[in-house]
Amino acid sequence: MIMKKEFSEIWTEKYRPQEFEDVIGQDEIVKRVKAFTSEGNMPHLMFAGPAGTGKSSLALIIVKKLYGNDWHENFLELNASDERGIDVVRQKVKDFARTKSLGDVPFKIIFLDESDALTKEAQQALRRTMENFTSTCRFILSCNYSSKIIDPIQSRCAIFRFRPLEKKDMEKIIKKIAEKEKLEIDEGAIESLYEVSEGDCRRVINLFQATASVSVKITKELVLTIVSAAKPSDIKVVLEYALSGDFIRSREKLLDVMLKESISGQDVIKAIQKEIWNLQIEPEIKVKLTEKTGEIEFRLVEGSDEFIQLESLLASFVLAGKGKQ
Amino acid sequence: MEETITGKVEGKRVVKDAQAWTEKYRTVSLKDFKGQDEAIARLKYFVINFRKGKRAAILYGPTGSGKTSLINALAHDMGFEIIEMNASDLRNKEQIEIVLNQASSQKSLFAKSKILLIDEIEGISGYYDRGGPRAISELIDSARFPIFMTTNNPWDKKLNELRKRAELVEIKETDYKAVTDVLKSISMKEKLFIREDILKAIAIKSKGDVRAAINDLQSISLNKEEIDVSCIDEREKEEGIFDALKKIFKAAKIDSQLLNTFDSVDMPIEQVFLWIEENIPIEYNNGEEIAKAFDALSRADVFRGRIHRQQHWRFLVYEYALLTAGIAAAKKQVRIDFTKYKRPQRVLKIWLAKQRNAKKRAIAVKIARFTHISIKKALKEFPIMVQFLKSQGIQERLKLNQEEVEFLMQR
Repeated sequence: MIMKKEFSEIWTEKYRPQEFEDVIGQDEIVKRVKAFTSEGNMPHLMFAGPAGTGKSSLALIIVKKLYGNDWHENFLELNASDERGIDVVRQKVKDFARTKSLGDVPFKIIFLDESDALTKEAQQALRRTMENFTSTCRFILSCNYSSKIIDPIQSRCAIFRFRPLEKKDMEKIIKKIAEKEKLEIDEGAIESLYEVSEGDCRRVINLFQATASVSVKITKELVLTIVSAAKPSDIKVVLEYALSGDFIRSREKLLDVMLKESISGQDVIKAIQKEIWNLQIEPEIKVKLTEKTGEIEFRLVEGSDEFIQLESLLASFVLAGKGKQ
Repeated sequence: MEETITGKVEGKRVVKDAQAWTEKYRTVSLKDFKGQDEAIARLKYFVINFRKGKRAAILYGPTGSGKTSLINALAHDMGFEIIEMNASDLRNKEQIEIVLNQASSQKSLFAKSKILLIDEIEGISGYYDRGGPRAISELIDSARFPIFMTTNNPWDKKLNELRKRAELVEIKETDYKAVTDVLKSISMKEKLFIREDILKAIAIKSKGDVRAAINDLQSISLNKEEIDVSCIDEREKEEGIFDALKKIFKAAKIDSQLLNTFDSVDMPIEQVFLWIEENIPIEYNNGEEIAKAFDALSRADVFRGRIHRQQHWRFLVYEYALLTAGIAAAKKQVRIDFTKYKRPQRVLKIWLAKQRNAKKRAIAVKIARFTHISIKKALKEFPIMVQFLKSQGIQERLKLNQEEVEFLMQR
């Protein structure tokens, strides 16, 4: 039986860790960071690691521990992938850093999330900003890859590398939520929640809540149904058009899918790479296309127009399809 | 002065509607102008206080913003008769005086007050219209009725003297929403059934030029079976790119001559990429050629990305070589047939999708703020989250408005 469940909160916030002890899977980092807050002083920090491993959560805990109830006044949260250009970041930082911190701690904290979204030039500018305000502000930079951050910034930060959550960590989190929300969840469901989320805790919790909105009894089938409902299956159609030789329809469909679901080129590449193995083509062609996909993913990172790169990949599929007939 | 659309839509269809819509639907009264309240107020003030203040006004603003129409409407509403001169009438002092004397003498015949309109004042040439600017200056000093001048560029050197003597009134570029409204009302009167997003796209493309927008509307209305907004894209620049595409796609000999094909195309390189991208599968019709051509385009794009990131401009050489010779060399056999190249569709599609996705994005912004993630990530999580975003409690927490709630409930 399917029951609709009403929620009053988004779980990723409801179950966001509030204490250092609640942060799961990053014990070593937590220990070291905790020491900063008890001393009431800290250097600039850099949190590097994949999505959904606790970078923002830890930053928020630090701030709350340092400032107590005044934390809102002493904390600025920016997201580099949303703030258009370094000038916006600079201006906001300037405005924020102009006034002194409230309370005992002599500095304020700026959390710049996804800082690897900044270009090299923007990072140079950021570095100067960090220097200019170093007496009144500390930065916590988060990024997926520290290698995308220029050396001068790295050398000014204490770097912490977050690991993707292991299965046992994720299980702990899922079970805790299930208990609090009075849900029944079986092992198979936990397994598939973990598998589709690739160690991203935010993903897991969102997916869990989406599943729970349908039923209080959570099974593997239910998880997979929700996942496939959310995932555009149209990538397959795109590839089938290409294999049949219809390049124009194939690219039209691809653009439609990307625009409708607002998915990035990277996401498309990922989906294509997985979909290759479900196609009705010779294994050796699958291998060839996989290699080509890898090459295009590489070019997509290096290039400037994602869609052109994807079209070039589709053209390879057209070519491969010709061999099939 | 007004261009009809006949010349623009080459060989498509005979113009049935002999009248250009820009004339047919010319705004008659000031109350029909949208978004020009300030300019209208200033013009009225100028006319009413004509004897006390300056005797001439220069209306300036971008092409098609409605400068001439405004003066016509002003005259209509306030009951003036317009004496119109244009740049070519302003040969010299004598000519001006002839026109003016006629005007003055006409005063005795008709009871109406007059205003003098000199359209496109920058058209007076310092050389041929010797004495022209000076003649107008003197004319202003002794003016018995208000003089209006229009120009795109009030800061032109030739207008230095005139500027001192005239009130400057800026006519703003018409906002695309206002242009859309104009197009909507015309298409209703013409009983056209054109989707609103298409009207909007025309409006945006016009960059505030109402006249161009109306011309475009009329031209696509002639082409009833398929309404294709892309055909109005950057019209004047097309000649060059069409030739360049032809040169590259049809080239029999691939040599260094080909490398600078795009130098003569008045278009940023980003646009050139889009044109090539659109037309590769139109020119090349088999997998091998398409794959080769796109491979070249893809490599060109990689160099473009490296130039952006590293500011290493020497890479431009390779970018261009791939864009020209690279694309040309993809062909298996030389073609001599005529290919009808298409205008790029992608940017327009992206724009239309953005309009459609606006609500989703607005919700994503709220999710992003609330859950400490980027808007991009919120959009990525959206398809999964939508399942529980239907909960009223969460909607209240996110402070979603009525429209956003409705959007979610329809999913």
